[in-house]
Amino acid sequence: MSFLIRQISHTADGREIVRTATLAKPQLSVGRAAGSDIHLPDLSVTPDHARIEQIDGRRVTVRATGTLGFSVDGRTVTRADIDAVEGAELRFGGHRITVSHGAGDEIILSVQRVDALSDASEDKDEARVFSLGGLLPGRRAMAWSLALSILVGFLLVPIISYATRPAADMRNIYTVKGERQAQMQKAALAKGDGVVGDASWSSGPLSRAHHALEGQCESCHVKAFVAVQDSACQTCHSPAEVHDHAPAARIAMAREAPGLGGRILAGFASAFGRPPAGACVDCHSEHEGAGPMQPTAQQFCTDCHASLDSRLKDTKLGNAGDFGTAHPQFKAAVLTQAPVAGMPHPAFTRISLDRKPTSDGGLKFPHDVHLKKTGGVARMARTLRAEQGYGDALACKDCHRPTADGVRFLPVDMEQDCQSCHSLGFESIGGTVRTLRHGEPAQVIADLRAYYRSTGPVRPIALGGMARRLPGDYAAGRTAATYMQAARTRPADAEAAIRAVFSKGGACYDCHVVTPPGVAGKAGWQIAPVEQPMRYFVNGWFDHAAHRTETCESCHAAPRSAKASDLLLPGVNSCRECHGGEKAKADVPSACALCHSYHAGDGAPWVPAGTIRDKTVNKVIALSGASVGEASVGMRRNR
Amino acid sequence: MATRAAPSRRAKGDSRHEGFLQHAGFRWLKIATVLCLVIIASYVMIDVTPRHNGGSWYGYTLGTIGVLLILWLTALGLRKRTMTTGRWSLKAWTSAHVYLGLSLIVIGTLHTGFQLGWNVHTLAWALMMLVIVSGLFGIGVYAAVPAALSDNRDEMTQGQMLDAIRAIDRQLHDAAQPLPHDQADLVRRSLDQDPFSGGLLRRLSGNYPQCATAQAQAALRAWTGSRPDTGNDPLERIDGLLERKQAMLSRLRKHLRLKALLEIWLYVHVPATFALIAALVAHIVSVFFYW
Repeated sequence: MSFLIRQISHTADGREIVRTATLAKPQLSVGRAAGSDIHLPDLSVTPDHARIEQIDGRRVTVRATGTLGFSVDGRTVTRADIDAVEGAELRFGGHRITVSHGAGDEIILSVQRVDALSDASEDKDEARVFSLGGLLPGRRAMAWSLALSILVGFLLVPIISYATRPAADMRNIYTVKGERQAQMQKAALAKGDGVVGDASWSSGPLSRAHHALEGQCESCHVKAFVAVQDSACQTCHSPAEVHDHAPAARIAMAREAPGLGGRILAGFASAFGRPPAGACVDCHSEHEGAGPMQPTAQQFCTDCHASLDSRLKDTKLGNAGDFGTAHPQFKAAVLTQAPVAGMPHPAFTRISLDRKPTSDGGLKFPHDVHLKKTGGVARMARTLRAEQGYGDALACKDCHRPTADGVRFLPVDMEQDCQSCHSLGFESIGGTVRTLRHGEPAQVIADLRAYYRSTGPVRPIALGGMARRLPGDYAAGRTAATYMQAARTRPADAEAAIRAVFSKGGACYDCHVVTPPGVAGKAGWQIAPVEQPMRYFVNGWFDHAAHRTETCESCHAAPRSAKASDLLLPGVNSCRECHGGEKAKADVPSACALCHSYHAGDGAPWVPAGTIRDKTVNKVIALSGASVGEASVGMRRNR
Repeated sequence: MATRAAPSRRAKGDSRHEGFLQHAGFRWLKIATVLCLVIIASYVMIDVTPRHNGGSWYGYTLGTIGVLLILWLTALGLRKRTMTTGRWSLKAWTSAHVYLGLSLIVIGTLHTGFQLGWNVHTLAWALMMLVIVSGLFGIGVYAAVPAALSDNRDEMTQGQMLDAIRAIDRQLHDAAQPLPHDQADLVRRSLDQDPFSGGLLRRLSGNYPQCATAQAQAALRAWTGSRPDTGNDPLERIDGLLERKQAMLSRLRKHLRLKALLEIWLYVHVPATFALIAALVAHIVSVFFYW
C-alpha cells in the first residue's frame, strides 16, 4: 500500500519536468504547510487542507479537514470515495491532482499547477488589454449596425410601406357625385397614415390650413420622385373656384426672362421633374412651420409686374415694383356715362387719380357746407342733437353708414340720412306731417294735384243754403261768382306748386338734376338717377374697418369740397404715409398681397392671419375692441 | 587637420516638428476660414423666399457642398493607411480634414436654415455635429495626452509595466505561503484580480473603488497596525509588497486612462461617421422621394 506522487512542472519553454516520489503511507496530508505530504504552494489552499487515505488496493477516500472543500471531476465536495482504477481528477485551488492506479496496487497521484499564480501572470494579449478593444463593441460593428439601422428605419421601412400602400382616391372631391360621398372622401384623405415611418421625412409641420393632412404625405406627394403637382392641390381646391390670374399665355409672356442663374435653376428644375413656373407650390410653400401659411412674397408679383410694360407692350397696368417706391397712382372706376335710354347700366372708366377725375353722380351736395363747424347746418345739428344724436356740427358718420363687415359704406339714403333736416313735408293733418314721396316724381305730382283738388276754397256763409235765388240778389251773385271762380282756378295752383317743387329753390331741385317737361322728348318732369358707387378700386382692396384708427378727414378732403362731383378719394401718397413696401421701415410694411389677390375674386385678398404684426395693427385691434383672433378671422374673410 | 562640422543637409526649419494643425503655415485653417466667411456672407446677402431652408436653390448648393465634403473627409480613413509625404502628404490631408471638417459646422447648419425638428434631416445634422464634436475632442486629447502619457510611463514599456506587476505577484505569492487561510485569502484576491478589469467608466475615470490590492492592504494593516514591527513578520513584508503593487497599479491605470482618452473619441467619431452617411442617404433619398 503506497502512493506514487508525480510532481509535474513546466520549464519556461513548455517542457514538462516530472519528479516522482513514493510514499509508503496509508494516509497523506494535502496542504499549503511546508510539512504536508503533498505540498501545494497555493494561497487558495489552507495549510492543512485534506487527507487522502487508501482503503484497499484500488480505493481511496479524500476528506477535507477544514470547511473548505475540493472538487472531484468538477463537483465541489468535502469527502469523496474514489476508485483509482476508474480514476478521478481532484482540484485544490489552482492545482490538479489526477488519481490513477499503478501496478502493484500503487495509487498514482499526479500533481500539477494548472492555474497561473496570479491573474496578471496569465498570458495577456498586450495590444488588446492596453486598449479599449475589450471594453467596447468594435468600431466596425458599431458603424455597420448604426448605419444599417438608420437605413432600415428611415429609408427601407417607409419605402416598402409606400410601395405596398392601398391606392389613394385622387378624384377631385368636387367631381365626386353627391355631397355625402365628397365629405367621406375628404375625411378619408385626412384619416389614418397610409405610409409607415414617413413622418420622419417631413421637414417641418404643415400650415394650419393643411394641418389635417399632417402625416398624410402621400396625399400631396402622389408619385415618388415627382414634385408636388397642381393636380394634387386640385383634389380639394376646385379649379373652378381658384380664379385665374390672367390667361396663361399672357402670364408666360409677362414673366421676366430668367438671368443666367435663373436659367441654370430652371434647367435643374426641369431635369429633376419640378413643375414649370406658375405652379401652386411656387407661391404656396408648405412645411414652413405650424400656424398660418407663409404670406406670399412681394417678389412673386414683382417678377412680372415691376417691369411689365417692357414685355407686355399692350398692358394697361402700370409697373409696380414696391408699394412704397414703385406703385402707379390708383385708378378709380369713375362714372363716365349715366344710364340713358337703351343703355340701362351706367358706364365706369378707370381713371388715374392724378388726372383729378370728377364723378357726376347726379346729386348736388356741398360737403363743405354740411361739415362746417358754424353756420346754419351746424345750428340745425345742434337743434336736432337730442332727437338725432348729432354733435356740435354734422360729422361724416351722421350721413354715411358702414356696411355690416365695415369694409365700405352704404349709399346715402335720403329718408334715413337727409330727411331729418331736409324734410319733404307739405301739410300737417292732426299733427301728422304728410311728406312728398322721395324717389317717385310721378307720385309727388299726383300728391300735389290731389292736395289742391281735395281742399276747395271755403264756401262763403253768405251763399247760404240751397235757397231759391231771387232777383236783386246781386251781392250773393257776386259772392257766388267769386267762389265759383276760386273753385274753378284751384287746379291751376297745383301746377304752379309742382313747377315750384321741381324748379330752382324747390325741394327737388336743390339736390337733384331736374329736366323740365318737353326737354329731350320727355313729357313730364325728369330727375336724373343718382349713382353712388360703393367700390372704386376694382383691382385693389381697401378695408375701411382696418383703418378705424384714422379720421375720415385724414384721407378724404370732404370739408373743403363744395361739389358732389369732387372725387374725394385719397391718392397713393396718402396711403404711403403709413404703408411702405414689403421690406420698408414704414409703420405697416405691405406686400402686394395686402391689397391685391393673385386669384382675384370678389372678396378681400388672402392674407395669412397674424402676418401684419406691428404697432399700427395692434392699435387697430385694441381700438376696435376685437380680440386678436377675431381680427385675424376678419382678415381672412374671403376664403 | 582641424575637423569641420559637416554642413547640414537639412533645410532651415526642417528639424523642428510641425504638427498637422500648423501644417504649411495654417494653410487649411485659412482656406476653411475664407470658405466659411464666403458662405456666411452669401447666406446673409442672398434673399431666399419665404426664408432660408434646405429646399431653396441656395440650400441645395450648400447641401451638395456639404455632402461632397463629408464623403471626402470620410476618405481620410482610407487615405491614412498609406502614409506619404509631399504636397499631398498624409499630414496635409489630416490638416485639411480638421479644418474643412470644422467648416462643416457652418455649411451644414446654414444648409438647414435653422429649421430643425424631429426628423431624419435633423438626425443627419445632429450626427454631423456629433462627428465634428468628437473630432474636436480627439484633437484636444492628441494635443494634451501624449505628454502626460510619456511622463507617466517613465520610460517603461507596457510590457514592462505588466512584468513588474507579475514580479510583485510572484513575490506576494511566496511571501503569503506561511499565512493562515483568512490572511492568505486577502492576498489571493489581490493576485486574482485582473489589473485590466473594470468597465469603460473605470477606465476613463481612473477610479477603482473595488481594488482588491488596496482592500487587502487595508485589511492587513488592521492586523499589523497594533503590533510592533519585529522585522521578520511576513505580514510586514507583504504590506510592503502590496504597497509596491499599488504604486505599480496606479501607474498602469493612469496609463490605461490616458490611452482610453486617446482612443475613445474614435469609437464615437468612426461609427457616427457611418451613421451620418446612412442618415445622409436617407435624407437625400427622402427629400427627392417626397419631392
